[in-house]
Amino acid sequence: MTDFAGLLRALGEAGVEFILVGGAAATAHGSARLTLDLDVVYSRQPENLHRLVRALAPRSPYLRGAPPGLPFKWDFLTLRRGLNFTLVTSLGAIDLLGEIVGGGSYENLVDDTIVLDLFGIKCRCLSLKRLIEVKLAAGRPRDLEVIAELESILAEQERGNSGC
Amino acid sequence: MLPSAQIQDKSMADQSIDITPDPVIEHYRRDIDLTLIIENLKLTVEERFVRLMKLQEFAEELRRAKRQQESERD
Repeated sequence: MTDFAGLLRALGEAGVEFILVGGAAATAHGSARLTLDLDVVYSRQPENLHRLVRALAPRSPYLRGAPPGLPFKWDFLTLRRGLNFTLVTSLGAIDLLGEIVGGGSYENLVDDTIVLDLFGIKCRCLSLKRLIEVKLAAGRPRDLEVIAELESILAEQERGNSGC
Repeated sequence: MLPSAQIQDKSMADQSIDITPDPVIEHYRRDIDLTLIIENLKLTVEERFVRLMKLQEFAEELRRAKRQQESERD
């Protein structure tokens, strides 16, 4: 099980610049679907990479699904050399994305975010319309139902039901 | 507290992005359970995440029960 609150607090307390995307962002907007991991787009600025290392180091990050014993070192250089990391931690599964299809980088997305006060930290979340746009651009068949649900949420919000 | 009260800063981007209706998506939308969405929209964002974590616990318990049932059957 993923401790969403714990992961968000770990990132927030370390001052990591990130944007909630994927299923967690859909949950924030009102999706009723089950998601098992936390997807975030993180800023690739060097200082932010250091913050990310500090935030997750105590949570024993490791490559999700990889056999144990690989020489995976959670440090600044690893983050700088890579881009997208699917990790398991002591708080659960987290995907750290340097870029996403149809959305690009943190800097490309940050203007299309809302700021949420969540579990005591302020975190950015991709706006509902941009989330739909990104999922449409990704073009994955498994996203079709998700997009349909997100568009239904958007329609409800436009009808006056509360969103976020 | 209303969900909207949690928002600290809302960009104008939501107003600027145009989403053209797609016939495939519209087809899938017919099967969406709006009652679940409407209930979810009444919750705060934090309550939605708490609900998600409870749902994960429930899913894990279902998987455990299924594994137990299979091992007892064998």
